[in-house]
Amino acid sequence: MITFKIKRYNPEKQAESYFEEFQLDGTEDLTLLDCLNQIKWTLDGSLTYRMSCRSAICGSCAVKANGHAILACQKQASQLVKDNDTIILEPLGNMKPIKDLAVDFKPFWDKIDKVSPYLQPEKKRLEKETKQSPEQFKLIDDASTCIMCGACYSDCNVLEVDDNFLGPAALAKAQRFVQDSRDVKTLARVKELSKPGGIWDCTHCGECVERCPKPAEPFDRIKEIMTVALEENVTGNNGARHALSFTKSVKSSGSLNENIIPVESVGFFNFKGLFDLLPVGLRMFFKGKNPPILHKSIEGVEDVKRIYRELNE
Amino acid sequence: MIKHDVVIVGSGLAGMRAALEVCEGLDVAILSKVYPTRSHSGAAQGGIAASLGNSESDSWEEHLYDTVKGGDFLCDQDAVEEYVKAAPRVIYELEHFGCVFSRTPDGKIAQRSFGGHSKPRACFSADRTGHAILHALHEQLLKRSKSIKIYSEWFMHSLVLEGDTCNGIVVSDVRSGAIEVMQAKAVIFATGGYGRVFNITSNAFASTADGVMAAYNAGLPLEDAEFVQYHPSGLYRQGILFSEAARGEGGYLLNGKGERFMEKYAPSRMELAPRDIVARAEQSEIDAGLGVNGKDIIHLDLRHLGQARIMERLPQIRQLGIDFIGVDCVTDPLPIQPTAHYSMGGIPTDKFGQVIKDAEGTPVKGFFAAGECSCVSVHGANRLGTNSLLEAVVFGERAGRAALDYAKNISHAPINESHEKTKVLGLFEDVFQREGEESYNDIRNEMKVIMTENCGVFRDDSRLQVCIDTIRKLKERYKRGRITDKGKLFNTEIYEVLELGNMLGMAEIIAVGAINRKESRGGHSRTDYPKRDDENFLKHSLIFNTEKGIEIKYKPVIITKHQPAERTY
Amino acid sequence: MKFALFTGCVAKGATRELMLSTMKSAEGLGIEFVEMKSAACCGAGVVSEKNPLLADALNARTIAIAEEQDLDLVTICSTCQGILKKTECHVDSDPDYKGKVNNVLKEGGHQYAGGKVKIQHFANVLGTEEGLNLLRDKVKRPLTGLKTAAFYGCYVLRPSELSLYEDPDNPTGMEEIFKILGATPVYYESRVKCCGFPIIMMNKSASHDMAGNALIDAIDSGADCVVTGCPLCHLSLDAYQPEIDKMNKKGCSIPILHLPQLVALALGYSPQELGMDKHIISTTRLDKILT
Repeated sequence: MITFKIKRYNPEKQAESYFEEFQLDGTEDLTLLDCLNQIKWTLDGSLTYRMSCRSAICGSCAVKANGHAILACQKQASQLVKDNDTIILEPLGNMKPIKDLAVDFKPFWDKIDKVSPYLQPEKKRLEKETKQSPEQFKLIDDASTCIMCGACYSDCNVLEVDDNFLGPAALAKAQRFVQDSRDVKTLARVKELSKPGGIWDCTHCGECVERCPKPAEPFDRIKEIMTVALEENVTGNNGARHALSFTKSVKSSGSLNENIIPVESVGFFNFKGLFDLLPVGLRMFFKGKNPPILHKSIEGVEDVKRIYRELNE
Repeated sequence: MIKHDVVIVGSGLAGMRAALEVCEGLDVAILSKVYPTRSHSGAAQGGIAASLGNSESDSWEEHLYDTVKGGDFLCDQDAVEEYVKAAPRVIYELEHFGCVFSRTPDGKIAQRSFGGHSKPRACFSADRTGHAILHALHEQLLKRSKSIKIYSEWFMHSLVLEGDTCNGIVVSDVRSGAIEVMQAKAVIFATGGYGRVFNITSNAFASTADGVMAAYNAGLPLEDAEFVQYHPSGLYRQGILFSEAARGEGGYLLNGKGERFMEKYAPSRMELAPRDIVARAEQSEIDAGLGVNGKDIIHLDLRHLGQARIMERLPQIRQLGIDFIGVDCVTDPLPIQPTAHYSMGGIPTDKFGQVIKDAEGTPVKGFFAAGECSCVSVHGANRLGTNSLLEAVVFGERAGRAALDYAKNISHAPINESHEKTKVLGLFEDVFQREGEESYNDIRNEMKVIMTENCGVFRDDSRLQVCIDTIRKLKERYKRGRITDKGKLFNTEIYEVLELGNMLGMAEIIAVGAINRKESRGGHSRTDYPKRDDENFLKHSLIFNTEKGIEIKYKPVIITKHQPAERTY
Repeated sequence: MKFALFTGCVAKGATRELMLSTMKSAEGLGIEFVEMKSAACCGAGVVSEKNPLLADALNARTIAIAEEQDLDLVTICSTCQGILKKTECHVDSDPDYKGKVNNVLKEGGHQYAGGKVKIQHFANVLGTEEGLNLLRDKVKRPLTGLKTAAFYGCYVLRPSELSLYEDPDNPTGMEEIFKILGATPVYYESRVKCCGFPIIMMNKSASHDMAGNALIDAIDSGADCVVTGCPLCHLSLDAYQPEIDKMNKKGCSIPILHLPQLVALALGYSPQELGMDKHIISTTRLDKILT
């Protein structure tokens, strides 16, 4: 017997949401979606949620189970059960609920739109296929598995506090084009994606990778875009400067020089940025917390430098 | 009233491809009861066929022959010829759109073997080809968002037909419950199949015959409805598709004795015989008590392929096995059974996607159809794998072009908006107000069970009659149900009830078609008429809804290059 | 218990008190730490933005050094822990890539074998049965009445395949340690969320918002202090707390401790000995409970 504690919401009836419990027996081999259907078809027909393929490919049925986004059809109910044989179900996060577990996906799609989510190839059309090697295919294979379910978007820690962030799904979709050998707008794309709200706003929390029901793994895709952006020399932003400064610091001493990195990240001539750093810098100085002015190298620094040289860094 | 030049119902491969064609010249709207990327096209796994010859030399002529033979000679060969000829161009166009295809070492689109095809001509994207094409077309739709309007989560209820001309459709917005009339110069249906009338099916919950029933209810016939394809490798008990590609890559089918039983049924092609033959083989083994553990399970064994090949070519299938039944195909065989998969039948069209209303080919002006909901017929009595994705894209383009050519020279015809709205409103009110004791869930389950058991892989007269009688009783009980959700906001319950109504209608049509076709051909197999009967049944069935009830007429099969011959593999 | 200690950069820089308290708690517990002085920075997931192979090479080298010393590796920073585990996963799962990485390391005399040493966070070591028994044995000053809110740090939790916690969505490792030390663990939603440190330079307000939400959650749940497993989380929650406090209408003020400080306090060391006077947010309000 499993108790499903489901967040109900119907603005036609009342403004606030509330939790309602349903109990089901015989759930041993049922997916969470099977259970939702059982509840809807035998206990309460008004329970509202989206679903279609039930085989983890259409992306309709993403919901929050016990506080974390999953595809309802992909998880066995028995594996989701927590204390007191209960599963708590809520709609996806970071999106407004319409009714019960169905949310408004418009902001999600608007953000997908923002990354020019279509191939921009050479103008000249070949008669046959544009050649693409298996290695080139591998670069975009993972991103192409995305089913747009919204699980990553739901649990993204940055979206929770900053709606300007494009979000993991849009950025993963962007990588599918940034690294598609047939696309000719790489530079324009990474320039756009390096702006505020883009790749450098990702906080690396790994929620998107954890929740992704497919091999799309948005955070790994975001990092791939970062690498391309740096290769393309799009460095006029704090995120890129931070990465360059960090890498340089480890090269010269084998460890991070914490005094230099904030300065190089904001830019030497960014007086406002430097000024903004003052309060925390001074605060730490007066507590004796500032990193030593004379930065020491690690014992193995020569080998580190050699590795950098070998990798052309 | 909402007004567009062209309205497309269904936003899978066929619908989106049609939209891309129409938007070049006219104002077009595409309507779906789900969001476009949720369309069932995305569940297709194995591949899309074309005689590119990237793996082995190939020709459209061979593709034509394989398709006609695969269809047990019921295909309209003039249509098939144009369709297979168009295939290479269509694939290249998809690739230019950006579709992600698996590649050969020298960078060309990779192709693999598939059931019923004499050459490896299935172009694929790992084992998620439908998904890859769906998203490529969706990307193109987003690129043209200014010229293509998407109505997502809108339901199509009925066709507005005035005499022989289609003037629009009546729809409702699922989110608000508001009913609207959409006036259009041309309407294209790309609404997919209806596997959900069966118990074990690979189809999504959304595959509920809404489009075909709207055409039927408007007085148009449905063609070859009795031909339903059972895919050999559906996940046991759940019906989820395990692509034929698994067999294309070399997988074996084993019975309870561990035998590769296909040797008895198709010694030359073995596991790569066409689907109807393999499904019947499996069912025969099961019926003879030779299933795994004596039950209705067959084993799909991929272990000998090795982990590397499975991870490269069949990664999604592997994950499906792990997620849905806890079996890792790298180390264990997968439990499978035949699953209702594809609807060869549908709305009759000519080879340009123009809907016709009789055996003479009288066009229904302004009404077009493409993809699984249509019957051209390119698949005849049985569809070869990878030919459906191709059909959707080829005929989506053709129907789009036909609609564009038709609509650009005419103006909107008037519609009696309140009359049309009232009809649909009445339907809603009726369902809302029913206070019967019947459970829609029970009715649906009983329909699915009787259809799978009595109108399944093997059929006969008496069981089909029981099936028809049962369905008719269910249709009566359906009028005495009741719903819980009486609201207008996102009322998914009432739409499920409307879908059930469509499915009951379709179930009856399939069973009636099956009982009247007294032969075995392709996917339609009669134990009481086990042979193919070209003398009496080399023809398409057209099922009509008349005041006198269901009536069947027939349409000749167009045969050009290949005379019907014995179909062995 | 003897381990190779990978300190990470920040534990010896901006949060020197972490290194200090780590050595004190090791001393108090009788654990021997051999500092990996020739190991390079883990890259914090930032070097890999520039060059993934470079980052993996540096980290594989670090693991190889521990292999050579035949000692399991211990980290005191969630970020280092997660990054090292990621490299281990990248290299172990692809023999070709492993060959590539080892090729880069060859000239320096190191070769990554893989599967020879464990990579654990100090909290994982203390959380083993042996570790908990050791703690139980050596606690001299039970932290009775101290309500402690754990803050794990993203990198030890996600991706879950690399986490050493049994249930990374609902870990209890740190709270088990708190209980043995006599403290009262406070459970709150934000303990598994992000502190925002990685974007402190790129999107300050979002970073502070994330940190602020976590702090308020801990405060509302009744915590006296937040205990971090990562010095970067510590910086975000402590060094920037004045900004966060100002930004937030509710206001938030709560001391932040490093896990080894908490451990060492229970072992009898004084706050001064553990560098707690270096914190931006004063920890003196905890003195009442500690005495």
